[in-house]
Amino acid sequence: MNLLDPIFIGQLVIGGLLAGALYALLACGLNMVFGVMRVINVAHAEFMLVGSFAAYVLYRYLHVHPFVSVVIAAVLLYGLGFLLQRYLVERVVNRSLLTSLLLTYGMSIVLMNSGLLIFSSDFRSVPVLQGSFVAGPFIIPQSRAAAALVSLAVTVAVYWFLKRSRLGKAVRAVSEHAEVAMLCGIDVVRIRMFTFGLAAAMAAVAGVMLSMIYSFSPDTGPDFITKCFAIMVIGGMGNFLGAFYGGLLLGVVEALVGGFVTTQWAQAMSYLLLVLVLVVRPTGLKGARLAK
Amino acid sequence: MKRAFLIAVLSVVAWLGIGIASAAPPLKVGASVALTGKYSRTGQEQLNGIKMWVQDVNARGGILGRKVDLVYYDDESKPDTGAKLYEKLITDDKVDLLLGPYSSGVTLAASTVAEKHGFPMVSSGASSTKIWSRGYKNVFGLYTPGTTYMNQILHFAKSKGLKTVALIYADTAFPRNVAKGVKVTAKKLGLKIVFEEEYGKATTDFAAMIQKMRRLKPDVVIGGSYLPDSTAFIRQAKENRLYAKIFAFAVGPGLPDFGKNLGSDAEDVMGNTQWEPTLNIPGAKDFATRYKEKYGHEPGYHAAGGYGAGQVLEAAVKKAGSINHAALRRALLHLNTVTIFGRYKVDKTGMQIGKPGYTVQWQGGERYVVLPKDVAVKPVVYPFKPWSGR
Amino acid sequence: MAAVLIALAALVPATGASDYQITFLLQLLMMIALAQSWNLISGMTGYVSFGHAAFFGVGAYAGALLLEAGLPWWLAILAAGGIAFVVAIPLGFLTLRLRGPYFAIAMLGLNEVGRIIATLWVSLTSGGDGIPLAPSLLPPLRWNYYAMLLLAIAACVAIARVYGSRFGLELRAIREDEGAAEMVGVNTTRNKVLAFVLSTLIPGAVGAVYAMYTSFIDPNSVFSTALNIQMIVIVMLGGTGTLWGPILGAVIVVTLREWLWASFPALHLLLMGVGIIVIVLFLPDGVLSLLRKRKSVRPEAVGAGEEAEP
Repeated sequence: MNLLDPIFIGQLVIGGLLAGALYALLACGLNMVFGVMRVINVAHAEFMLVGSFAAYVLYRYLHVHPFVSVVIAAVLLYGLGFLLQRYLVERVVNRSLLTSLLLTYGMSIVLMNSGLLIFSSDFRSVPVLQGSFVAGPFIIPQSRAAAALVSLAVTVAVYWFLKRSRLGKAVRAVSEHAEVAMLCGIDVVRIRMFTFGLAAAMAAVAGVMLSMIYSFSPDTGPDFITKCFAIMVIGGMGNFLGAFYGGLLLGVVEALVGGFVTTQWAQAMSYLLLVLVLVVRPTGLKGARLAK
Repeated sequence: MKRAFLIAVLSVVAWLGIGIASAAPPLKVGASVALTGKYSRTGQEQLNGIKMWVQDVNARGGILGRKVDLVYYDDESKPDTGAKLYEKLITDDKVDLLLGPYSSGVTLAASTVAEKHGFPMVSSGASSTKIWSRGYKNVFGLYTPGTTYMNQILHFAKSKGLKTVALIYADTAFPRNVAKGVKVTAKKLGLKIVFEEEYGKATTDFAAMIQKMRRLKPDVVIGGSYLPDSTAFIRQAKENRLYAKIFAFAVGPGLPDFGKNLGSDAEDVMGNTQWEPTLNIPGAKDFATRYKEKYGHEPGYHAAGGYGAGQVLEAAVKKAGSINHAALRRALLHLNTVTIFGRYKVDKTGMQIGKPGYTVQWQGGERYVVLPKDVAVKPVVYPFKPWSGR
Repeated sequence: MAAVLIALAALVPATGASDYQITFLLQLLMMIALAQSWNLISGMTGYVSFGHAAFFGVGAYAGALLLEAGLPWWLAILAAGGIAFVVAIPLGFLTLRLRGPYFAIAMLGLNEVGRIIATLWVSLTSGGDGIPLAPSLLPPLRWNYYAMLLLAIAACVAIARVYGSRFGLELRAIREDEGAAEMVGVNTTRNKVLAFVLSTLIPGAVGAVYAMYTSFIDPNSVFSTALNIQMIVIVMLGGTGTLWGPILGAVIVVTLREWLWASFPALHLLLMGVGIIVIVLFLPDGVLSLLRKRKSVRPEAVGAGEEAEP
């Protein structure tokens, strides 16, 4: 049995890229928040799960297809993120990292346990798009393909938005230098609220996509948030493209390790990569500019 | 001064009065249950079974003329929480009798606490043989040991001339115990284990593992699992077009949720079960009917185990004639009785040897006992229907 | 004041308190010890360690394994502290090069790495099965209690001594402005690493005592993020950088937790989360400052060194 079978490797890489696209979407949102307000939002994964549960509830009780739920969840989470930023996070943006970390950690605990109280820790999923299609010698599960496409689309759209649109440029200005941005007449506080909401909406999209691929429960958050941390560090904190490539990279590495070693080691990869990068090059592979 | 004297007298009278008025105090039965966490589904079932027993036994007048009071806490499916809770039950709540938690992992921890205090504990919800290999004297099990879970399926595979097995299992006590048994039996039968992998208990992504298995084309896929992982695996096996002539998992397929979550994808999946409501055991059908009336769904074996554990405790206390620990321990060791769960008879370590396990298979959206042949309700559907044909 | 409390604490087991009550006090002492050790690295140097529970976990496993190997229990406890210390040395050098958010994430990752190592290194740790310690090996509860009491006292004494010493001064200089400290000749690397490794001795020993009184450990229970958070919340609630703050914080948090956990099992974590948010937003100086109307060290100051470019 030749382990270096190219089809085997190819299949793993494809699977990894598909998973990685989802990670990238999630990590880019988290990264954006960090870039704009120097806050590491530990509750980001819980935002994602709110999206997943929204998709589940909408599908189960109202038979809404996840592709429609995506929009609903994104709007919902945008609102939630906006409000949370306005009333909670804004108070700690100028304080220490520990303070904001603790606040967002508290938020994640509240969200997670509210979820447990409402839904219990049973695993759920949205069983649409099951089955796979064949492309050459490769098998591509439909749900993962759809999730990857949507994730890519949203990530690219946000990137384009940040680069080209007026509002996007304002966001970037705030992340590079908040005081100067304020002097230029940008309402920094509103930008922060907007950014936090946008990131939450991105997380919601990831969550809806996730609901079709994996089984999830309210306590699935920590697995994903640690992947996000790893991606942010690997890609360089505050670096949007870095987070994007980092997400893809992590997906592929996890798949390859899962294929050549074991799944347990694959799950450890995010930490191992994290440690590796921190030791060798703390600013990340693309270099942290603490800005985009 | 006179007033103080009067108050003192009244207090003494009241105290005496209260003492006389209260009849024999209730018997406190303590347990921790997984109400949250990974095992909450099955933990809740086990609790339901225990609660039904408490109701029934009190309707009968209690044990030794005393009403039974259930004291329980949520161990969050975590062994360390369970250990702390049993410490609390024994030293703070001062319970009279103990029932074990759900899952081998939590039971391993809880039993150490019970052993430390010399307090006998009746355990349903745990089957890892490791629990009884430590020389403890205070744990008495209802479940058929984990190492035997897949024996019937492996024998069946051998009888069909199959040769290769892919084995996966979660990294906690019970699944590892099942895997251990699979390896021993496979070796005895001359079946080759071509793939073996342990996975983290929180794993939801089996894609890479399935890729590896596909290349090896195993005849049989066996999983030492619980409900969430077995469900996720089957779903992903279909997605990634992994085919085998037999798919068998621990715990998952034994539960109604499995079929509900997977729909037609559960078809032909085999699993083991400790008990089924359709078995010809005295009291089983009655229990199942009443359970369904009360809780709205059929009981799985975890619920029956909870009920059965209560019955064993009741029988042992009656046999010993007291709740004294030493007497109870002796009674539990020598007790030979039949509950709605099946026969209870333990070896000298407290491990169950009187009750067999059963194999179930999902057919037509329902779960049926298919092995051993003499109690089978339906024959085994073999081989596994290909994914594309569903 | 301190002497009175210590004397009272020492007498408790003799007063016929139930095992459960003694266990409660033991947990309280454990959190005091852990919180003070966290105070030493994070409160003093400003390098917020989000993963201190990793050393608790290392100590728990070291203690359990040494106990099974035949060491007398008290020696196992001391050795566990030592092992945590030794493990911390290379880790300290590696991670303390990092600034602010990187250090925080690295430390968070550390706890998980510990958990994963414990799960995967099956031949040593029995992996996910965990290690149930045979009752015959365990010291009686009272001895566990005294051990924990001694550790809590040691932790408090350490904080008090360091605070008043030159070493403490140098650490606080690092916290205020690391660059400036370096310019005036403070060997920041040596000091940071020293504070770091010293702060792991107590958690290591505490972990071993924990293993011995719960009689069962597994990767998830001893490498738990919940423990990290409790350490931090306790210090913040009580008042960072003070001696009595963490003690007060521990009393409040452990009592609340115990009450909530038994009566409202499903809600207690939720309320803890709400509690954290409330503390962070409204009680940044901790309860102690309310009581004493004295400005204790503000958490901002704790993090002041982190805004510099990585």
